[in-house]
Amino acid sequence: MSQQVVAQENILELRDVTVSFGMNRGVSKVLDDVSIDIHRGEILGVVGESGSGKSMLASAILDAVVDPGTVDGEISYRTDSGETVDILNLEEEELRQLRWEEIAMVFQGAMSFFNPTMKIRGHFLETLKAHDQDVEDGMEHARELLTDLHLEPDRIFDTFPHELSGGMKQRALIALSLILEPNVLVMDEPTAALDLLMQRSILTLLDDLQEKYDLTIVFITHDLPLVKDLCDRIAVMYAFDVMEVFPAGDLSNSTHPYTRSLLNAVPNLTTSLDELRSIEGSAPDPVDIPSGCSYHPRCPLSTPECEQEDPALEEIGPDQEVACWHHEKVDEELPLALETSDGVSAEVYEGNQSDEPVVSMDDVEVHFESDDGGFLSLFDDPEVVRAVDGVDLEIYENDVVAIVGESGCGKTTFGKTAVGLQEPTGGSVQYRGQDIWETKAGRGNGDRSYAEIRRALQIIHQDPGSSLNPNRKISATLQVPMKSWQSDLDVEDRKARLLAMLESAGMSPPEDYADRYPHQLSGGEKQRVALIRALLMNPDLILADEAVSALDVSMRVDMMDLMLTLQDLFDTSYLFISHNLTNARYLAGRAGGRIAVMYLGEIIEIGPAEEIVQNPQHPYTQALHWSTTDLDSTDETESPISDIDVPDPIDPPSGCRFHPRCPEAREVCASEKPSLESETDHCTACFREYPEDHPYWDSEPLDQETVGVTVEGESS
Amino acid sequence: MSDASVDSEDIPLEVVSDVDQTWQDTVRNLLNAYVLVPGRIMITDYRALIGFGIVFGYLFVGTIGVWLMEPTTMWDGERLMQSFETWDHPLGTDPQGRDLLTLMVYGTRPILLMMFSGGLFIVVVGTIVGTVAGFSRGRLDQLLSTITDVALTIPGLPLVIVLAVTLNPQSPILIGVLLAINGWGGLARNLRSQVLSIREEDYVEAANAMNVPTRHILLKDVLPNMMPYILYNFMSSMRGVLFASVGLYYLGVLPYSQENWGVLLDQAYTGGALTTWSMFHWILWPIVAVVTLSIGLILLSQSTDKLFNPRVRARHE
Repeated sequence: MSQQVVAQENILELRDVTVSFGMNRGVSKVLDDVSIDIHRGEILGVVGESGSGKSMLASAILDAVVDPGTVDGEISYRTDSGETVDILNLEEEELRQLRWEEIAMVFQGAMSFFNPTMKIRGHFLETLKAHDQDVEDGMEHARELLTDLHLEPDRIFDTFPHELSGGMKQRALIALSLILEPNVLVMDEPTAALDLLMQRSILTLLDDLQEKYDLTIVFITHDLPLVKDLCDRIAVMYAFDVMEVFPAGDLSNSTHPYTRSLLNAVPNLTTSLDELRSIEGSAPDPVDIPSGCSYHPRCPLSTPECEQEDPALEEIGPDQEVACWHHEKVDEELPLALETSDGVSAEVYEGNQSDEPVVSMDDVEVHFESDDGGFLSLFDDPEVVRAVDGVDLEIYENDVVAIVGESGCGKTTFGKTAVGLQEPTGGSVQYRGQDIWETKAGRGNGDRSYAEIRRALQIIHQDPGSSLNPNRKISATLQVPMKSWQSDLDVEDRKARLLAMLESAGMSPPEDYADRYPHQLSGGEKQRVALIRALLMNPDLILADEAVSALDVSMRVDMMDLMLTLQDLFDTSYLFISHNLTNARYLAGRAGGRIAVMYLGEIIEIGPAEEIVQNPQHPYTQALHWSTTDLDSTDETESPISDIDVPDPIDPPSGCRFHPRCPEAREVCASEKPSLESETDHCTACFREYPEDHPYWDSEPLDQETVGVTVEGESS
Repeated sequence: MSDASVDSEDIPLEVVSDVDQTWQDTVRNLLNAYVLVPGRIMITDYRALIGFGIVFGYLFVGTIGVWLMEPTTMWDGERLMQSFETWDHPLGTDPQGRDLLTLMVYGTRPILLMMFSGGLFIVVVGTIVGTVAGFSRGRLDQLLSTITDVALTIPGLPLVIVLAVTLNPQSPILIGVLLAINGWGGLARNLRSQVLSIREEDYVEAANAMNVPTRHILLKDVLPNMMPYILYNFMSSMRGVLFASVGLYYLGVLPYSQENWGVLLDQAYTGGALTTWSMFHWILWPIVAVVTLSIGLILLSQSTDKLFNPRVRARHE
């Protein structure tokens, strides 16, 4: 946490800032009378769900709201010398100088920020020249910044943007935003597209940067627990206005009912699974914001007073303001669910898990060859990406297996192999003892047809936007599975059945939903439809590929609850893929399932959900656990990995694949590979699990210094 | 919603309906989807209205108009009467005394047949080759792509001239196909590249997982996304065939058995209509007919995007 250099001096003051867009439905207010002070030298977290107006706040601070939006109100900025600048009334040229030199911004999509035809060096030079800075000094500063961010300046400067991984690009972007030594850095979801581990690493680096360069940071995010250790104060936004501001150190400081409900809706690693409650209802439309307190339709504490009068932000303590009539009652009525679970209290949906596996995978390998050179590359050795490399897994009836790993570790490819949508290049995938791909080729040894196997294995995709055909109504989409395997049903039967399914998924009135196109549904509703579509095939196993990741935090628990309720009803198993240990814990934990951790194409640890979460054995699982912040933890621990970038999957490290990043790695890890064998059902592929006579215990630790600074790139 | 506990007794998977859909319902649904909704969308767009009006007018003239009018013969009227001189010959007459309006009306039908057959040929061949090539991987894709590339590299005009001379086709439908014989390559190439990206959409994979037959995936999941582009191509290919036929008749390459606008242009040009003011109406009216039809097709094709856009459709239901 940062030291506040000058106590309580405000560097930015926002007064009654309103941003409105004229639409044909009416005036859309995407910021509604926001007033907030930003202290010099602090890190302010701005937290809100999607569509709460938090990104618009960032645009307003830079007076960069796009046409035809209009900004009203007052935003004043205090320079180092004590002058006050009215940002909204600046001339074009003054504004240009203010941006980047005084207030810089880091955007969400680092992928599209860089010009793909220009090397990274060019981006730095361009920025320096555009602001008439001394190029040599500036580049020297850039080198320092890049080194601070664990990047090698010389290598980074000479690469094109596509040669960098997402995390490296985002760090280069942060360096670029600091090149002109601004006083304020506005970051709009700078880590949302990155893996948890990378997110956490960047946050740690940011904390150091903030102290070193004496920055004021406005950090905008949808993930409250993520920023709690980084920030000094947290501002919570709902329905285009700030609901409360509170000191970040302890989340129990929060006094607004919305903040409490939001915190109680987010799965984490310690809270008992029964304590999680989703927030009823949905966020309001910007054209039609409820009168009075905008949260009252969803608030459990709302009274007639809330419906009539909008509470203003009221100071209730040092650094703490809240806009709620009932903030005194919050501790009583909506306590934070932080009690650590004892592992027994959680209600577990007990399925009758059979001994016979539904799907069993034996030494499955999926290798992709890149052959983009066409005829001319005929004589080159093709580059082989080992997406999945020798994985065994058995999935039983009524089982839930959650696969957790960073992006690019092969978890999606592995999942698609499990449901027979991706042909393995080695090993076998069997459905109830019958090889899927042999059956498809007509050489099957069992008596099941391929169509029968196909029916039993279904998929739900990650992106709600592309999981449904935009040109077909929901009722047409949902009739497809029934046409496929129940041809005896006529149109009316199919319709009656899909209406009943929609009803049971909580989408009522079902007739109304059935008659809609996908664009008329919210993301969560689309995912429900995708789940229903999969269930209508009456499958034995559903692959849920990051099925809740794209949803808003408050809706994830809802969706996972629905998945579990329907599992109970239809006797299916789930293979749940997630980059997020908390979601995996929630789904697998409630169903008494397992969590498997994948790293570079291999499963490195597998075991019962609570066991993996509470007692991780592999150093990588421990790192994942570290990257998932606990709501109530106050201790700040050092990063448990020594290199924050993932190695290149084309050329994976020898021996144990995690050894270049592992803090416990010894020499033997670089040459030998540990196996995943164990007598119990908690297996870990690490030499540290081996008995005392294993050579690991006598081997020398790897020299961490050399490993730590080497930056492993995507290009080899 | 989370605690929407479902009673295990009435499992929704077992539900059947006790109402039967009558054939009247089916007809009403089809009528609604294919006539009423497109109609309502068209009414809101003046381009669509004008385009539809023009094209429908030509269709009317080409079918019923021919039936209403007596064919014209030589010396029906006086030689080279100007337009709008008498009501007997509103557009005037040619040097042989034939009524220009009747010539134009009788010329509409073969031109429309040519355009329709040519446009249909391009769209059907281009769509089939493009989508099948894009959707199938490996050998079939390579084979179809190679054929497309070959078709693209053959120069069109010489091919049409050679074919026209060797085959000497008489029917306007055949002539339309002949003119379009080389036009499907570009469409196939473009559609293939679009299918390559649609193929990777999640809902196509979901359909695969549900064992939906490939032809159903192509028809229901892939094609609707490209329909605006295909329809636009249909319109512009018809324009292409129209221009090609008029041009080639004018050059005298195509054999002519019937009067049509292209033939009329050729006769007017050789008769000296471009240099003599008194003959100008002879060459003017075929040009006006071609240009108006072309504008109608352009306007209609611009509005097709709306017909297939689910957002627009949803607003008009």
